[in-house]
Amino acid sequence: MQPEEEPMPDGQPVARHPDWKTADNLVNLLRHNAENHGDGIAMRERERGIWQEYTWRDYLDRVLCFAAGLEELGVGAEDNILVLGDNRPTLYFGMLGAIVLRAVPSPAYPDTTPEEITGQMQREDIRFALAEDQEQVDKLLAIREDGHETLERIIYDDPRGLTGKEPPGVVAFTDLVERGRQRLDEQPDLSQDLLSRATIHDIAVLLHSSGTTGAPKGVPLKHGHILSGVRNAAAAGYFREGEIHMAYLPMAWVGDFIFSVGAALVLRFSVNIPERQETALHDLREIAPTLYFSSPRAWSNMLTRIQVGIDEATGLKRWLYHRFMPFAVELERRRLEGRQPGTGERFWRALGEILVYGPIKDQLGLARVQRPYTAGEAIGEDVFLFFRALGLNLRQFYGQTENCALAAAQDPDSIKLHTVGKPFPGVEIRISEDGEILMRADNVFDGYYRKPEATAETLRDGWLHTGDAGYMEDDGQIVVLGRVSEVVYTASGERFIPTYVENRLKFSQYIKDVCILGQDRDFLAALVAIDISAVGHWAEENGVPYTSFADLSQKTPVYELIRGVMDHVNAVLPEGLRIRRFVNLHKEFDPDDGEVTRTRKLRRNVIDANYRPIIDAIYEGRDSVDYEAQITYETGESGVLRRHLAVADVAPSGEK
Amino acid sequence: MFYRLSGVHHTRYETARRIWPVPADRRMVYLVLALAVAAPLYMSDLYLTSYMLPWLIWSAAALSLTLLMGIAGQLHFGFAAVMAIGAYTSIHLTRAGVPLELALIGAGLVAAGIGCIFGAAALRVKGLYLVMATLAMQYLVDWTIINVPAISGGAQATLSTPSVTFLFVPLRGDTALYYGALLWAVIVTMLVLNIKRTSFGRALVAIRDKDFAAAVIGVNPFKYKLLAFFTSSFLGGVSGAVLAFCYYQAVTPEQFGFNVSIQLVAMVLVGGLGSVIGAYLGAGFVLLMPIVLTNVVAYMAIAGWLSVSSNLLAHIPLMVYGGLIVGFILFEPLGLAKIYDNVRKYFLVWPFRHTQS
Repeated sequence: MQPEEEPMPDGQPVARHPDWKTADNLVNLLRHNAENHGDGIAMRERERGIWQEYTWRDYLDRVLCFAAGLEELGVGAEDNILVLGDNRPTLYFGMLGAIVLRAVPSPAYPDTTPEEITGQMQREDIRFALAEDQEQVDKLLAIREDGHETLERIIYDDPRGLTGKEPPGVVAFTDLVERGRQRLDEQPDLSQDLLSRATIHDIAVLLHSSGTTGAPKGVPLKHGHILSGVRNAAAAGYFREGEIHMAYLPMAWVGDFIFSVGAALVLRFSVNIPERQETALHDLREIAPTLYFSSPRAWSNMLTRIQVGIDEATGLKRWLYHRFMPFAVELERRRLEGRQPGTGERFWRALGEILVYGPIKDQLGLARVQRPYTAGEAIGEDVFLFFRALGLNLRQFYGQTENCALAAAQDPDSIKLHTVGKPFPGVEIRISEDGEILMRADNVFDGYYRKPEATAETLRDGWLHTGDAGYMEDDGQIVVLGRVSEVVYTASGERFIPTYVENRLKFSQYIKDVCILGQDRDFLAALVAIDISAVGHWAEENGVPYTSFADLSQKTPVYELIRGVMDHVNAVLPEGLRIRRFVNLHKEFDPDDGEVTRTRKLRRNVIDANYRPIIDAIYEGRDSVDYEAQITYETGESGVLRRHLAVADVAPSGEK
Repeated sequence: MFYRLSGVHHTRYETARRIWPVPADRRMVYLVLALAVAAPLYMSDLYLTSYMLPWLIWSAAALSLTLLMGIAGQLHFGFAAVMAIGAYTSIHLTRAGVPLELALIGAGLVAAGIGCIFGAAALRVKGLYLVMATLAMQYLVDWTIINVPAISGGAQATLSTPSVTFLFVPLRGDTALYYGALLWAVIVTMLVLNIKRTSFGRALVAIRDKDFAAAVIGVNPFKYKLLAFFTSSFLGGVSGAVLAFCYYQAVTPEQFGFNVSIQLVAMVLVGGLGSVIGAYLGAGFVLLMPIVLTNVVAYMAIAGWLSVSSNLLAHIPLMVYGGLIVGFILFEPLGLAKIYDNVRKYFLVWPFRHTQS
């Protein structure tokens, strides 16, 4: 691999990546798949209960027709196209169609607010948008009426509520495909021309860093970045050819583009798309993928679901579960420590596979999963061990949008709980003097979209400054502690990373979200959002009556329950970093209130501002607080809600 | 535990609507079918001809009745008479030189015709009154058969079946007879399973649930009630003929008396109304349980565990049998099929209590 030189001025991309070959790009891979595996299933989408299949030939056909139609609308190279909606084959075809024209798809989360979309459209000069359905079209129309007149065309997929009465500038995907097909029929050379336009140095997709601080930054990823990322990962045995993959995570998230488009084209995945987000779990079982990615939170939710399901089950089933599951977890724990199970244990494990582990995997739709992954934040030890004990080779990987999310992953043979594994082949990682993880590889991007200062800050001498604090162990495995920017100090000068403590608290099924306070304060305190399904179930089991989330959160037994969790975590924290007080909030943190990002990362400044009276009450030593909650309804109106919240103390450990 | 459903997805509605969409169910059906086909290889002649063969034929008869009582909801307490019509018709036809294949169809048609005439009562009456009407059919048919020498050959006569071939195979010997019965049972089973998932079956269910509500949504009760009687009686008539040719090989009027009708109703009720597997379980229970109980009681008496008078000994199986029927109906009013269904669902969602997705 060539080390990167100082960023070259645009227009000389070859100098930057001399070993990238122009014809090696996503479009050519699609053509290759369509020519050599034309009848292979490229995509499946569940529609009204049955799965509609698209072969690679259909895929290429739709992409080309759409590209031809799009060109007629006036889309050309380096135009940005907003892609807005849940995963749909049409949106994937549309993104590829744009890529064919060297235009750049810029996906947004489907629940993004109009203001955020307006911001994105202004920053990126967006004139064209590809929207999933009437809801998204309406959102875009409202934005256009509010002054963003440069939005020329809105292309929609789902005809429901739109066909036949399209507002001006709104056109159906299918119509565009038909027009494109006509053009292709009239100009026989057009399809060859279209297929030969894209190069490896083109930007394939414009993603956005999640923006825990300030406005999101555009992250342009080129074909070459994506391809080298996928190939590095494949070389490490991370993907195989012909995986069955479930595309249910938001299209605006880097992982979905890498898995469902990048890796899918390179390694001929069949990409399966659930009918709706709500049916994703059910559809997962119908497909039974071989490759499954899920966030630590989703894995933990799945564990909660299993535990609740077992609690409800009848005697024999519950007995078998409690007989076999702890055994498997213990066995897995010892296996990770390097001790192999004996013959008797193997037999017992095999029996459990028939009676408990196999059926559970089958019920969840994970029966065929060979490569289950998680990333994004730390995963709880209980959760990690549980799924590994079920016989799923769950592994963590590490990466950011800036490096195609593919930087390091746990090796199947040397899994340690606290590390994220070794770098993929072709990825160089080192730790800077101040403890930041630095990275250099062909899958590291070439700079933020129109943000030279931010780029200069992040890419220095060809090294990507990830902003993560961490260290490398002797065997080359990387440990990620948290964000460098998140390191804070208490009034007494104790150094800590709030996320680190928060993650440990969130490993409890009863806590959905928690925000640790303590910067420049005397002690640490916590704002807790309970998990309504787990605590609700616990309340039912223990005869605690409640009416709503707010009511349940303020029950004394619930405070006792959460205090138990705090005690448990305090036991492993150093003396100065123990949590002394906490408040159960009357609601969950909500992205609509700006308290968390769409990927559920805390926005501390917003939380500090929103809950100022509560925080003051905690540190003033009061026992309760009257809090006026500002709430924003989905219509955009806001109101005020008064809540009386209790503040609880946690006994310093050892004094229980 | 046995039911693995992950990875089962459908790309067409046809496959989603197939008869056994769950692979484990399909495998079980294949296994049962293979066991049934191979039965002559591993079963003694006694078991084959005295247990398996009548069980299959009576199951087919119970299936015919469950189509009418369970699916269409029309009570019928004279089904033995329908079978009698079929049996006598087929014998007279074959004696007149008609090949058995046609004679069976003729038996079905005559039974269906006469069945429809009495079934027409169902257009006017329901419930207990329909029971009375069908009971009348039972007695009228019995009386006619006994008192018309042209049919029965005389009041005390026994008509034996002529030797015949079916599809060029002579119906002689235990194996041939067994396969004849098995073939008929399979045909009726597939027919009823398919009726249940067609518009015809759904129309019958609509009639069963409320006939005038069905009329409101466009299901013609006149047409479908008659069709239900016709189809059911046709199958019942052929079942009677198969019973005569494959099992009894000679018919007398007593073989199709009122008690047989009641037994058939018992099979359908104990098995579970409207259920295909219930017909098999019900027929098995009603036919085989008395035999099993008698053997058990006899064995216990010989072993010296039961020292009671031989008079009482003969009645113990009947008492236990009656107790069992009452017990089963109390335990699960929806019949043996529902018990099977409960067990199946227990394993279907294993290790949870209900589906997780």
